[in-house]
Amino acid sequence: MPLDTITSKPKLKLAIYWGAACGGCCVSVLDTHEKLLDIVAAADPVFWPIAMDIKYKDVEDMPDQSIDLTLFNGAVRNSENKRMAQVLRKKSKILVAYGACAYMGGIPGLANFFTKEEIFRRAYEESESTLNPEKIRPVPEYEVPEGKLEIPVFFNDVLPLNKVVDVDYYIPGCPPQSERLIEVFTAIVTGAALPPKGSVVGALEKTNCDECKRKKTDNKKVKKFYRLWEIQDDKETCFLEQGVICMGPATRGGCGVRCVEGNSPCRGCYGPPAACSDPGAKMMSAIGTMIDADKPEEIDEIIESIVDPAGLFYRFSLPGSILGRKLS
Amino acid sequence: MEEPRIGVYVCWCGTNIAKMVDVEAVTTEVGKLPNVVLAKNYKYMCSDPGQELIIKDIKGHNLNRVIVAACSPRIHELTFRNAVEKAGINPYLFEMANIREQDSWVHTDRTEATTKAIDLVIAAVRRVLYHEPLEKRSVSVDPATLVIGGGISGMMASLEIANAGKKVYLIEKTDHLGGHVVKFDLTFPHLSSAKQMMRPILQRVENHPNIEVFLQTEIHEVTGYVGNFKTTLRNKDNEGTELKFGNIIAAVGLKPFDPSKIEEYGYGKFPDVITSMEFEDMLGTGKILTKYGKEPRNIAIIHCVGSRNKKYHEYCSRTCCMAALKFVHQIRAALPSTNIFEIYADMRAYGKGHEEFYAMTTHKQIMFLMYDQQERLPVIRQANRSDDCNMIIEMDEKLSGLPIEVPVDMVILMVNMEAHENVKDVVHAIGVSLCGNQFFIEKHPKLDPVATTTAGVYIVGTCQGPKDIPDSVAQARAAAARILATIEGGTVPVEVTTSFVNEKLCCGCQTCISVCPYSAISFNEIKKVSEVNEVLCKGCGTCGSACPTGAIKCKHFTDLQILSEIEGIMSMSY
Repeated sequence: MPLDTITSKPKLKLAIYWGAACGGCCVSVLDTHEKLLDIVAAADPVFWPIAMDIKYKDVEDMPDQSIDLTLFNGAVRNSENKRMAQVLRKKSKILVAYGACAYMGGIPGLANFFTKEEIFRRAYEESESTLNPEKIRPVPEYEVPEGKLEIPVFFNDVLPLNKVVDVDYYIPGCPPQSERLIEVFTAIVTGAALPPKGSVVGALEKTNCDECKRKKTDNKKVKKFYRLWEIQDDKETCFLEQGVICMGPATRGGCGVRCVEGNSPCRGCYGPPAACSDPGAKMMSAIGTMIDADKPEEIDEIIESIVDPAGLFYRFSLPGSILGRKLS
Repeated sequence: MEEPRIGVYVCWCGTNIAKMVDVEAVTTEVGKLPNVVLAKNYKYMCSDPGQELIIKDIKGHNLNRVIVAACSPRIHELTFRNAVEKAGINPYLFEMANIREQDSWVHTDRTEATTKAIDLVIAAVRRVLYHEPLEKRSVSVDPATLVIGGGISGMMASLEIANAGKKVYLIEKTDHLGGHVVKFDLTFPHLSSAKQMMRPILQRVENHPNIEVFLQTEIHEVTGYVGNFKTTLRNKDNEGTELKFGNIIAAVGLKPFDPSKIEEYGYGKFPDVITSMEFEDMLGTGKILTKYGKEPRNIAIIHCVGSRNKKYHEYCSRTCCMAALKFVHQIRAALPSTNIFEIYADMRAYGKGHEEFYAMTTHKQIMFLMYDQQERLPVIRQANRSDDCNMIIEMDEKLSGLPIEVPVDMVILMVNMEAHENVKDVVHAIGVSLCGNQFFIEKHPKLDPVATTTAGVYIVGTCQGPKDIPDSVAQARAAAARILATIEGGTVPVEVTTSFVNEKLCCGCQTCISVCPYSAISFNEIKKVSEVNEVLCKGCGTCGSACPTGAIKCKHFTDLQILSEIEGIMSMSY
């Protein structure tokens, strides 16, 4: 049933919230363009900080389970994110982890390669643009004559949404493709049979390579890894076979291979495919098989040519992977 | 899945485990775990009463999963799998926790060892929950055998198989059979004639109705799997001949080390510095003469040439010491008054009758001079005109501690045995691995010395490592016996814990194909997915770890099983 024919049904209540996010996920909802009109025809946004003025307290006052669908984007980085995740879980019938950050931790999750102390030291003391001789750091509570000031507590770890609350579905992507959002939204609005709880929706079972049109062979031996600007991409050979690290084989399809179509390797924002629990580890063992070396020193040399391997292989998935974070 | 009902059995292994691990405590502790229906301990689980205990409990308590905490699964996994199978449980619903090699034997603190045993058993319990029944499979065996290499090992193996009425294809790279042995004059330690020994063997091989010999032929590619191999010959006489066979014996041998690499000995520069193989040829002519046709009055035999020296080969070539002593007898018989110098690093007389042979040789009026491999090699130089000899060997004699000069007219270099340069071609074709010295690697260094990790491929003779004639022949006949047993059986079991591709997830990146050491994976161009040939697959798991999508899983080693095991082992102590 097309979205615009179902306006006669009672309107759904829709919430869209951001945790530790860049705003791109919220924009991806707007990126539905004219379809947005259909969305608002079928659903009333009751809470959407980027677009509407509504206070947290108003949400807290809503009856439990009164929101039909919440798209929670962004990771959980501080106590504010956590509190709102808990509130929205309580108020929502369906809670969706929307986008890479809510799903696996996303780009903010890369902070798990550091501790809170390291982050604060860098941000408040060491960064080149910081002048803070007294080494003042933010504190969650501060007494002023007018009363107590509070800011959220910064956690040591960035967490994906499902480490904080129960999540019904996941829509991956940085950001999710708007077409995929419409598909999922339509399914919910039309009352179609929903997939089992915990499913990743709006994405494929197979990986990006399955949709990728570039030529692939079993000859993936590499003497050096390159960044994209270091090679003349022939625009038709598998990036990996050209020595450029492409996360395609360890990344769930569904985005339409947009990056590769635009001649840029996949960065892995759709997260791991169904049977893979740790895309970074999986990709690293796959990359390990490509190294074309006879001597241990040569292996080291080839590995050296991979810039920031941890950040590269876990770019969108660190908090949600088995690795989770850098251990001390 | 039916509700798992697990029985856990903790073995004392006499005192081997019970001395360092509190088996009672382990039993009590794991007995509390969910799904564990019963936990018992017993003095020797592998004994008949131990196995009977399991079988009785499976029936009496309706167990559907069994764990034995005992020794290494390498030793008794099969024992217990067979036991649970007798009681009607699929053998793969059994799991072993190694609390001996990985615990009691390597720890000295009883409390800690007990904690570790508990952790290991918990891990096994968590893992066995996710075990799935697997079916045994087998394939038929082609009764023909391919033997690569026509030296003594290859010929003896061929005869053994052919005499049992089975077909043998014997492939030899050179234009003649017999390998190195046929070039020898006498053999040690009995000083019997090599040629007389070899003549009837050669005749029997050449005339045997069941042996087809292909000379000047090399193997480039072998396809198929145990019981069903195939190759196509590509030499001028037999271009395109296709051979089918069920088993392979590699007997490609070794070759003599080229001593010109060792500057000190001047091989190639001095015409009368010759190798042991060249001296064998000379003995074959019946005369020991220098290049100028004179009888040498002084002969030195230098041991360990290219052996036991990190610059060349670190390993001992095993046969040269005895061959050098054999030369003493041959020289002494031909030249009664010639001075013979045995310049050795260590005398190695490990074999049957070898020490006696060494003792006997010392009575042949020869001089033993010792040098130190690690310090300084002897140096051969041209003698002065006034000297009464051709060459002088300068050396630090180790036993006397004196620098000495040895006058010589002929020097025999006891050269090391080393791998052929092109051995990698054969290795690749038949799917065996090489050790650092380029010797073929056996499946188990002690318990399975002629098989390899590729089913149906056996290695015999010196390609597995330097050895003398009796050892080579023993291996050849052992491999033949193994092969005849599989031919007789008609079928061979193939690996059960193979990998498989989930076609719904495979993205066709082909990473798996490039890493498979058994060439068991191919790409289906129509479906655009990888496919595993489960007969070729040995279940090594390389593809499973390399597969970036998680589409390849290895039976009995799934992520769920392994991660559950890890969670189990971490659940108590951390």
